[in-house]
Amino acid sequence: MILPVSVHNNKNIIFGENKKEIPKEDTLLKNNLSTRTRIGLDKLIKAFTVYPARGMKGSINSDFYEFLTMGTVPYLIGSATLMGVFNYSNKVAPEAAKLGKKMALGVLLYGLFKSISKSFVNLPVKWITGIDTQLPYLKVNHQLPENKDDFDLTSYEYHKVGESVEFTRWDLLYGDPYSKKTLNERYDKIAKRNGLGTNLNDSDQDVKPIYREVLVKSTLARSLSSYLWAAVGVGLAFQDAWDEYFNTATLKFWEPEKFKHSMKILGRSIKNSAKNFYKPEIADTKLEKYAGKTLLFSAIALTLLGVLNTVHITKKPSKVKESDVMNKNKESVVE
Amino acid sequence: MKTNLIQSYLSNSTNLQQYNSDNAKKNFDVNKELLNRTFIKPLPSNGHLVKNTIFDYPAEFFKDIKYKANALKHSIQGNANDNELGSLNDAGMKLGGLAIATYLLTRRQTPLTKAMEFVGLCSFFGAMEIWPKLALQLPAYLIHGFNIRQQYRDNYNTKKPVFLDHQFIPWDLYSDEEINKIGDRMKVPKDIKNRRDFIQEKMRKIALQNNTLWMLTAGFATPIMSALICNALEHPIADYQDKKLAQKAADLLNKFNENAKKYDYTQNTTELEKILETNKGKNISKETIDAIVSTLSQNLDKVTSQAIRKDITRILGQDNGYEISTDVLEKISQAIRTDYSKVKIGIDDATLDKIVPSAKELIQELQKNGLLDETSAIKTGVKDFTQYIRVISNFGQTKLEQSDISQEQKNRLKFRASQQNISHNTAISKSLKSVPSTKLTEDTAKDLKAISAELNKLKGHLAVLDEYAYLKAAMAPETGLANGWNDLISKDLLKTLGITNKEIKETRYDERIVGNLIRDKIEDIASDKDRYEAVIKTLTEKLSKIEERTRFANIDINTKNADTDTTYKKCVDSAFEMISAPLQKLKMDSTLQRLFGYETNDKSSLRNIQLSYVMDRVTGVKGAFYRMMNTLDMYRRITELEKSKGTPLEGLSREVKEELVEMCKRLMIGGHSSDYAVKFYAKRNPDLNPVTGKIDDSELEIKNGKVVNKYVGHRDPKMLAENGHDRDFYERAMRLMYDGKLHSDTSQNLEGTLFYENFEAWRKNVLRMFGGDKYFVRPNFLVGGKETYSTAHERFLHLGNALDDMFTKLFRSSYNSNRWLKFFATFGAGLLGVTVLSQFFFGHMHTDRYEAKQK
Repeated sequence: MILPVSVHNNKNIIFGENKKEIPKEDTLLKNNLSTRTRIGLDKLIKAFTVYPARGMKGSINSDFYEFLTMGTVPYLIGSATLMGVFNYSNKVAPEAAKLGKKMALGVLLYGLFKSISKSFVNLPVKWITGIDTQLPYLKVNHQLPENKDDFDLTSYEYHKVGESVEFTRWDLLYGDPYSKKTLNERYDKIAKRNGLGTNLNDSDQDVKPIYREVLVKSTLARSLSSYLWAAVGVGLAFQDAWDEYFNTATLKFWEPEKFKHSMKILGRSIKNSAKNFYKPEIADTKLEKYAGKTLLFSAIALTLLGVLNTVHITKKPSKVKESDVMNKNKESVVE
Repeated sequence: MKTNLIQSYLSNSTNLQQYNSDNAKKNFDVNKELLNRTFIKPLPSNGHLVKNTIFDYPAEFFKDIKYKANALKHSIQGNANDNELGSLNDAGMKLGGLAIATYLLTRRQTPLTKAMEFVGLCSFFGAMEIWPKLALQLPAYLIHGFNIRQQYRDNYNTKKPVFLDHQFIPWDLYSDEEINKIGDRMKVPKDIKNRRDFIQEKMRKIALQNNTLWMLTAGFATPIMSALICNALEHPIADYQDKKLAQKAADLLNKFNENAKKYDYTQNTTELEKILETNKGKNISKETIDAIVSTLSQNLDKVTSQAIRKDITRILGQDNGYEISTDVLEKISQAIRTDYSKVKIGIDDATLDKIVPSAKELIQELQKNGLLDETSAIKTGVKDFTQYIRVISNFGQTKLEQSDISQEQKNRLKFRASQQNISHNTAISKSLKSVPSTKLTEDTAKDLKAISAELNKLKGHLAVLDEYAYLKAAMAPETGLANGWNDLISKDLLKTLGITNKEIKETRYDERIVGNLIRDKIEDIASDKDRYEAVIKTLTEKLSKIEERTRFANIDINTKNADTDTTYKKCVDSAFEMISAPLQKLKMDSTLQRLFGYETNDKSSLRNIQLSYVMDRVTGVKGAFYRMMNTLDMYRRITELEKSKGTPLEGLSREVKEELVEMCKRLMIGGHSSDYAVKFYAKRNPDLNPVTGKIDDSELEIKNGKVVNKYVGHRDPKMLAENGHDRDFYERAMRLMYDGKLHSDTSQNLEGTLFYENFEAWRKNVLRMFGGDKYFVRPNFLVGGKETYSTAHERFLHLGNALDDMFTKLFRSSYNSNRWLKFFATFGAGLLGVTVLSQFFFGHMHTDRYEAKQK
């Protein structure tokens, strides 16, 4: 289990082996590279070990989270199998081998571009709206005993506050319930960022519709644009400029000269493949000439549109003039 | 009216969707219900299991599309729910897949590879769908009696899998009857306590185990299944595209003139009209001619372009000499000034003005010498510039002499000026030739337009012919010819010759070993009449298809409008003849000569190049097939050479017979045109007429198609040598391979086919070309002592691909595809087997333990 390295209230807690330090309830985590990496590793390991074992046993505690986490398994195995399918038996046919390597690189760049491109939506949305759509939290699960020896079964899952637009974990976004100052601190910040004003009585109520809207729209933007970015990755992999790298590629860093040369060629191949993707050297038809550009600009346009749609918030509470608000101290008659 | 609190709450909450329950009680009164002290229950559910038959799929398909469209709309508005967002992720994946396939299509060159990009995409998504259905859902249903991928529609009409989340399964959607039926199928005892719960738990467990297994196997199964689907579809798609290609090619020629008109050369015409308009009434300069020729010869080859230049130069009358006028003399004055200024002797611009003859001075000087008209100061039709150069040069020198510059400066400039007299390519002579006398008249412009129109007509027709030739015979993948080759040189051929996968695996790396294997196989086949005939029959069927496919290239280049002409030849002839008369009328003699040649059989004419391209390509390919058939036939004839009378072996000693047969067998398998060019090279016993002992003139001994050698292979190799003087040996070898009648087992099976006729003609051609080819080292090595003319190119094409080379390539590709298929098909089948078998281990629960737990 990867334990939370720090909770969101900035109290950096380092969790060790001591069980007392493991949170007993769901806890927000900081959304930083370190946490994301550790969560990713934890999920990856479990997706290949604990969860399949539990699923194959038909355990009553195997839940939808585990099933979703196991989605990594076919993704990674499938990528490796695809590479194998393209490259198996190609040794004696140089042209086929070249194509096979490009296909394998295509599989790699597909995953890479798809993953990275999500930040093209997440980051601007976070900067503009102040809403972190990827905010992680640690979920503490108390499981059911499966036999008489089972007791105090606790499992930990890594979710995102906004992973469900219907069951968003609003509760985790609240601060200390006993402190008026910190209770709505996060909601206050978002409200301020989105021009709802400061010192709101119920900033959480005002922010929730906005938060939900951003979640929905940013998910749409990510879903559609990330696959187009992945296609851009595949397109890049299919340029002839990579042939030079394939001939010199080595990961033997203990042979510094060769490795350095290989890295240099890698840089050149990336640069040239990008150039050729954008402006192909040989293009007989208009489709061939503009395919790369069209794909790239479609991905950029879809991302931009997605982000613009996300930050165009329509569910802001209507502004009511102070004069229109009923003054409690004044007497009024209801007709 | 009483307030319905639930409805009131729902309608006030803007973020919640509301559903209408058909089963809801009419006039439901919550207060009444409360007063009755009954619990408030959720409204009866509208959810139901989705039980679709195959006929419902189209409707479901459109429902899903509608759902996704609504999901998109809701998402854009920020109102979508989790399920809608999930469905859009699937749509995004498909959109990305489509983008990838479309982009990769642009990176592929041939129709099949382009089509396979989309087949790959569809097969991948197909495999993602098919695998869980085939490997999990179906076996689970057959074994356990329920659908583990059962879907249901919830109250909001959203379709979801029942067993998506194992902790929230909507069991209420299954009736008791249904559950009990499933339980019966699972052989759950009927008398256990809480039987429904037990069955549900068993179902949950089975579904969970299947879902987990799905996740574990999909990564392997989807790519492999997709690849296997692609592999299986490749041939049918290739066949379909081959037919389409043939139809496309046929359509090109069927509507030859219409198709030619589709090629638009309006830009050419416009350019020409622009040039003619600009230069109308002006002297035709070299630049004008260049521009006109360049426009006319666009899309034509360089040789034709040169011929057009020759004609246009003549038509525009550059031979009429040049015009000398004030403008020309101005140019000359400027040229002299530039020339002087190149001599770095420190002369300033003012001095240069004084020493350089001006145009006015030059006019006077030339008029003085009678070289210019006294009044107009113009002279036209000048062809000889000697006098002009002399007068200008002398006048320049005089001006230099009269100037104030130093003697050294004068000498340097005089030397420079004297150069103008020596070379014909000086600035002065170039300027003198700058304005041709001829002017661009209305009539000339009209002729040029007519020439352009005729040439554009030709270009359009040539473009159609080129496209046809490419589709049918180009050296590229997936042309008609390439498809024909692949059809014959395939696994079927290996099967016909009885070559096993094991043999392929062991021999594929070495051409010589492959050659030996092929020789063994052919010897085996040739030794058995029935088998031989069966092989010939199979091959003939395939070869006849090739003949049919290449019929368009059966062309006699020397004929014109013959009945036997193919459509392609007729179109070529019509394209050229169409413009012949108009071009003759327009006096485009050189161009006509380039198009038609001096004689009909002029190989360098454009018409003949258009014809010979397809002929050569087809000859090269068919040569390989004819050679294969000839090899089989020769091997068959050799099996009956125990009696040599009447054969090329007649009268030879046993040892020479053995040597000859051995060499011919090897040549047929692995000989190249270079072996024929040097009149073969075979190490033999050099002692052709032994002084001692009797010559062994016994007949060959043949067993199972092989010659049982008494001498060949039994002598010390060091004692063997090449008998460079034995021309008889050469002639007999050529005759054994290519002359005489085919074996009756061959000819009987071939007779009546188009292949037979062409095959016989090929044998004669090869014998004539190679047999009559004079090799300077051995000038008398000629079949029948007759020398014939053929080019190395023709000989190369006729001989065709060597069998060892051809089979080595086939072995390698066949081995690779076999290995690939074997590995992935075995793996896929194994995975399927394990996945299906796993069902028998799923859902195991003990009723006694369950009952004990219940207590």
